[in-house]
Amino acid sequence: MKKGLITILVIAAVALAAFLWVKSVYNSMVTADEAVSAAWSQVENVYQRRADLIPNLVATVKGYAAHEQETLEGVIEARSRATQITVDPTDLDEEEIQKFQQAQGELGSALGRLLALSESYPDLKANENFKELQAQIEGTENRIATERMKYNEAARTYNTMVRSFPKNIIASAFDFETKGYFKAAEGAQEAPKVEF
Amino acid sequence: MDRLFSRRLLITVIGILLPLAVLALPSKPQPPRLVNDLAGIFTPAQTYALERALVEFDDSTSNQIAVVTVNDLEGYEPEEYATRLGIDWQVGSAEFNNGIVVLVKPKTSFSDGKVAISVGYGLEGAIPDAYAKRIIENEMIPSFKEGDYYAGVEKACVVLMKLAKGEYNYADGDDDETGLMIVAFFIILFVIFIFILIISGKKGGGGNGGSSGGGLDDVTKGIIIGNILGNNGRHSTGGSFGGGFGGGGFGGFGGGSFGGGGAKGSW
Repeated sequence: MKKGLITILVIAAVALAAFLWVKSVYNSMVTADEAVSAAWSQVENVYQRRADLIPNLVATVKGYAAHEQETLEGVIEARSRATQITVDPTDLDEEEIQKFQQAQGELGSALGRLLALSESYPDLKANENFKELQAQIEGTENRIATERMKYNEAARTYNTMVRSFPKNIIASAFDFETKGYFKAAEGAQEAPKVEF
Repeated sequence: MDRLFSRRLLITVIGILLPLAVLALPSKPQPPRLVNDLAGIFTPAQTYALERALVEFDDSTSNQIAVVTVNDLEGYEPEEYATRLGIDWQVGSAEFNNGIVVLVKPKTSFSDGKVAISVGYGLEGAIPDAYAKRIIENEMIPSFKEGDYYAGVEKACVVLMKLAKGEYNYADGDDDETGLMIVAFFIILFVIFIFILIISGKKGGGGNGGSSGGGLDDVTKGIIIGNILGNNGRHSTGGSFGGGFGGGGFGGFGGGSFGGGGAKGSW
């Protein structure tokens, strides 16, 4: 009788300990997952910020270099393609991020070509409005780099958590999937260089 | 004697190896400083005056402006380097993210000079990118072109202070307490100092004057008195930074974060 009670108590204690462990691991994963989603929405914010600057920039450049139709339209097309691709923040897998990054990268290079145009139009280069937009776009490129770095860090923390033993058991039981990263090297090539 | 030597050797070895262990970015200064002239383009007096002004600004408004100069950007773009430094060092307060990093890479015969201002999340409204760009082009680069790095940085800091002040313009609550503690500390120091004077006067006995054993020599007395007077008589000297003695040191970076706002320039 007494032995049976002790056994029950031991089992209950073990079960409680296991429950508490699962609970704390699960909750820390949820927190890390939320941090990744938050970092991702920041990434989308700064890309959106860049997209929002473009119509104004295109209008300003048109005033001085209307016959550069091809470059101007290239930017507008790349912008509409890029803004169409959004990633569900609950499903940040490698492939989705790759698609997003590629579309934004194309917009980045189109934008780079547009800004490079200003070199051959001194009037445009001297325009206050254009200077301001250029400063904003430069700042936004740095914001994009920063938020991408922060996203990658958050994703790395999360991925390490869900893939390391023994937490991976709980991760697979509750369907925590690993998140994709931004590829740094590609990004570096895509970033438009704006030199003065 | 031998043990002392080996300890010194160990410290020297660590001193040499430590910078090698740190990759790319310079590590957070210990003790914390707002002016980190790693490129050595300021005179000690300039560094001191700038540090004083920035510490005072931090004390009175809670905005932190860190000035960093380096000789090598390690392959980073200047604005990226400045932002990473800001994130890494946590310039600005955690509550307001009101830090600014001013980065200067001096021009050399084989590379362009680069400058960047990175603005913390909380100050992006007060100092938009276009403003930062204007500060770089109007205040900094003209002076830098003449080789006067200090003048350019000083002018930029004056404008940045004006802009940042509009956003967060108050001292932290506990800063007042720190001020009181400093005053109390100096009062206690003063009492101890008087006490020592009395004791040493008694011990030395009339004739011996300054060289009495155990007492403080005149230079030390002078420094202590100077410190007390200096701390009470702090003046602001118009537009440029200078003057002022003593005063509290920099309390440390506060946990601010950066989103990459700001601007860059080169010459």
